[in-house]
Amino acid sequence: MKAASFIALALATTALAAPAMAQETFKVGVSVGLTGYAAAVDRAWRDGLEVAADYVNSKGGVRGRKIQLVIEDNKSEPQEAVTVYRKMISSDKVNIFISGCVSAGNFAAAQFVVRAQIPMMLCSILPPQPDQVKWAYSFLAPPRFEVEKRFAYLKDKTPIRKVGVLHDPSPYANLQKDLAVKAAPDYGIELPVVEQYKQDDADFSTQISKMESAGAKAVLKIGLGGSTVTTAKNIKQLGLNTLLLGSVDDLAVFKPTGETLGNQFLFVAAPAQVYETLPEGALKQEIARFLPLWRAKHGDRDAVWAGKAWDALMVTVAAIDKAQSFDGEAIRAAVETLPPYQGTGGIYSFSPTVHQGITTNPFFMATYENGKVMVKN
Amino acid sequence: MSITTGNILEVRGLTARYGEVTALRSADLDLKEGELIAVLGPNGAGKSTLMRSIVGLTSASGDVRFRGELLPRNAAAVAARGIALVPEGRGIFGPMSVEENLQLGAYMINGRGEDYERRLSRVLTLFPRLKERLSQAAGSMSGGEQQMLAVGRALMADPKLLLLDEPSLGLAPKVTAEILETLAELNRSGLSVLLVEQKAPLALKIASRAYVVVNGRISTEIDTKEITSHDQLARYYFQ
Amino acid sequence: MTNSPATISSKLMAALRHAPAIAAAGMVAYAIADGGYIVTVVGFGLIYTIFVAGLNIFMGYAGQTSFGQNAFAAIGAYASAVLTATYGWPPLLAALAGIVATAICAFVIGYPTLRLKGHYLAMATLAIGLIIYEVAVQWQSVTNGYMGISGIPALGIGHYELLSDRAQLIFLAIMAVLSLAASWLLRHSRFGRALVALSGSEDAARALGINVRQYKLTAFIISAIYASISGTLFVHIVGFISPEMIGMNMVILAFTMLYVGGIGTTTGPLIGAIVIGLLPESIRSFKDYQDLVYGAALILILIYAPGGIASLDQVVKKLLRTKAPAKEVAP
Ligand SMILES: Nc1ncnc2c1ncn2[C@@H]1O[C@H](COP(=O)(O)OP(=O)(O)O)[C@@H](O)[C@H]1O
Ligand SMILES: [Mg+2]
Repeated sequence: MKAASFIALALATTALAAPAMAQETFKVGVSVGLTGYAAAVDRAWRDGLEVAADYVNSKGGVRGRKIQLVIEDNKSEPQEAVTVYRKMISSDKVNIFISGCVSAGNFAAAQFVVRAQIPMMLCSILPPQPDQVKWAYSFLAPPRFEVEKRFAYLKDKTPIRKVGVLHDPSPYANLQKDLAVKAAPDYGIELPVVEQYKQDDADFSTQISKMESAGAKAVLKIGLGGSTVTTAKNIKQLGLNTLLLGSVDDLAVFKPTGETLGNQFLFVAAPAQVYETLPEGALKQEIARFLPLWRAKHGDRDAVWAGKAWDALMVTVAAIDKAQSFDGEAIRAAVETLPPYQGTGGIYSFSPTVHQGITTNPFFMATYENGKVMVKN
Repeated sequence: MSITTGNILEVRGLTARYGEVTALRSADLDLKEGELIAVLGPNGAGKSTLMRSIVGLTSASGDVRFRGELLPRNAAAVAARGIALVPEGRGIFGPMSVEENLQLGAYMINGRGEDYERRLSRVLTLFPRLKERLSQAAGSMSGGEQQMLAVGRALMADPKLLLLDEPSLGLAPKVTAEILETLAELNRSGLSVLLVEQKAPLALKIASRAYVVVNGRISTEIDTKEITSHDQLARYYFQ
Repeated sequence: MTNSPATISSKLMAALRHAPAIAAAGMVAYAIADGGYIVTVVGFGLIYTIFVAGLNIFMGYAGQTSFGQNAFAAIGAYASAVLTATYGWPPLLAALAGIVATAICAFVIGYPTLRLKGHYLAMATLAIGLIIYEVAVQWQSVTNGYMGISGIPALGIGHYELLSDRAQLIFLAIMAVLSLAASWLLRHSRFGRALVALSGSEDAARALGINVRQYKLTAFIISAIYASISGTLFVHIVGFISPEMIGMNMVILAFTMLYVGGIGTTTGPLIGAIVIGLLPESIRSFKDYQDLVYGAALILILIYAPGGIASLDQVVKKLLRTKAPAKEVAP
């Protein structure tokens, strides 16, 4: 029985190690991929939540309770996500989930979250089952906005009507690709070449040349990370004047890409990335509430995903205030009847039928030139 | 059924190659029913290759007849005809118990039942030391005991013909003598035996005839009664 | 004194031999009683017990190597997921279809590759795992790609569904016990002995009349069926499947469980799956150092119990033996 008592002891120690809370808190469960493929976005999501929670707690918390984040690493793996979600449901007894962008992990855990009647605010897309969507709210802008912004720019500001699509195989990129194919005719745009790449491919010259010879004067790049920089380098090496149109990403990606291609590179910018150039108004005000706190802790690290996490917590707090309750069902109902909420990433208007809160396109087209982000529309 | 020759085993023109190397060249060999003969020869001569080719473990060209019938070139099928090989290095299954090893020897009859019990008690009478160690892991026994198990396992198949490849390898002289005496006893009770040995004097004591293999060829056939001294034998090896 | 020290210690040793397996079973019982999230962890552990028990038949008994068992779990998982969620089949029928598909697939794959030896076989199986993963990603019309398939019903027959966590865990425990019992029977059958024999020496096995190729293939198919069943159970418990869930990490985890539990032993898969399943949970409070502690724990286990936890009694025996002479010196 040695092994059993050892493990039982270890488990007991873990339970004791958790700080005993004198005062009751409002527990927010956070399933994030701190390691694995989602780490870049999910670490920012967690850090944004911490800034937001500190801010709310410094103002006295929500309805007299301090916010306590219970953060668990799902290693970007769905099975691990199920485990940590269930831990947070039955051991930590969290009141709500504000989880990261590992879609498959959120989907895999959804049925358990729904059974426990806990609302889930997500950085990812919504789970596909209707009974699960009922409890899930996405803070992601609909993928079509990223595509439409770029098509509209081409249509309004350039003569380019033939575009090549370069996308990775992730669900989000695939979704955007399909949307692009569907929406292109509405903008009078043709997509003669649609190419998929793998995240770790090191050269896209072939794909780019293929697009060039098909007459495409712009590349619609769909997918995160270093591949965008690689694409820029390849365009430059080939000596083409092709435009590169990047999707929403981290400034850490936009900077080297802009430094390579100059104004030949345009990207879809989130509001927090163009803060300095925003006109006065509700959007700028909300970002101004968050950004100094963020910069105090994290310097000039990109604030887009952290800002969305901030938004998710602020919407939650607003819902609790409206519901005058910490009950899951009450919070859920309140989220759906909240007036449109101005966040750092756009305006969130949830309703019983709309669970993806951003309904108007919040994006800008921008370039990165001479060390600065410049808005182009 | 052509038992007319009275040979249990006839090997004709058996040739085996490992890539470019011809390890066995056109070997001919006869073994009469109830005979115990030896195959002698220095290290690397091709003795093991001969044995393996006979039972179909090594692919070879030429004919091997068992009681007048051609043997298939497939070891499992050869075993089914009643030919058991005690391989070089014993081939004991170390992690398994002695009993499981013996059960595997009787693999063809599924290692249980009346027949099995009869064979088992015969082997344990021949090698009483195995009896005390039935549940012990075979690999934990001494070399001599393992060789006894290897022979015992082969006998569990109730073979018509027993082939042994250097059973004395790595054993103390006393243990070797014990095992060879058991083989002689088995032969006296009617079992045909083909024994490969490097230690010629030992083998010649119990064999009625011997073949000498040198450089992949069966060079000589000796009548053991002719051999009287070690020097004489050395001549056969190096002629 | 009626008992001599020798018989006491031999009784103790006999008890010690079963201690790890009993402890693992105790953890399962504890989880059933406790009902918290440990149910999930132990539930995954039991599903992996079945997966690893299959791997153990091929690797532990037959001495072969397969890095591609995830392929067969994937076939079982996706067959169950697609047939129940998309086409509304009853789970049992879907599981059977998955098993049949897996067996056919294992035959088609195993027939040519099992002629390969050692590293080549391992590489070939690795490729199979990668190919099936790629199929799960690319065959979007059926698998839904990375988006995965959700809405997979709970296990059940007719109108009776296993919905509560406890009921599911008890069911998984029964399935795991059946798998291990089947594995034990197999190991102690003529077929099982033949597998262990061919893992020791294929030539020696052949010379005894064992059809080595046919037996290796059969062992491969049986291990694939175990994997398929574990895949089916997994999707019905979680209700969701996506390619990441059947990737290489599954293979790495299973190998760890097999070696930590004790390769070649019947209860090793259970012990390994429970220990490796619970280990990360018991050190969750280490947060950022969790992976480090996990790795250190693995290394310690494999150093001090190289045959796996299932053969811990051997380690104790060895320790006692080295200490024994000191006693004899005392007057
Ligand atoms: N598996 C093998 N591959 C290549 N060469 C081999 C192999 N087995 C044996 N040989 C070679 O064949 C020759 C005969 O070997 P063997 O039959 O084992 O001799 P013996 O048993 O008389 O010592 C030797 O030269 C040996 O090096
Ligand atoms: Mg030899």
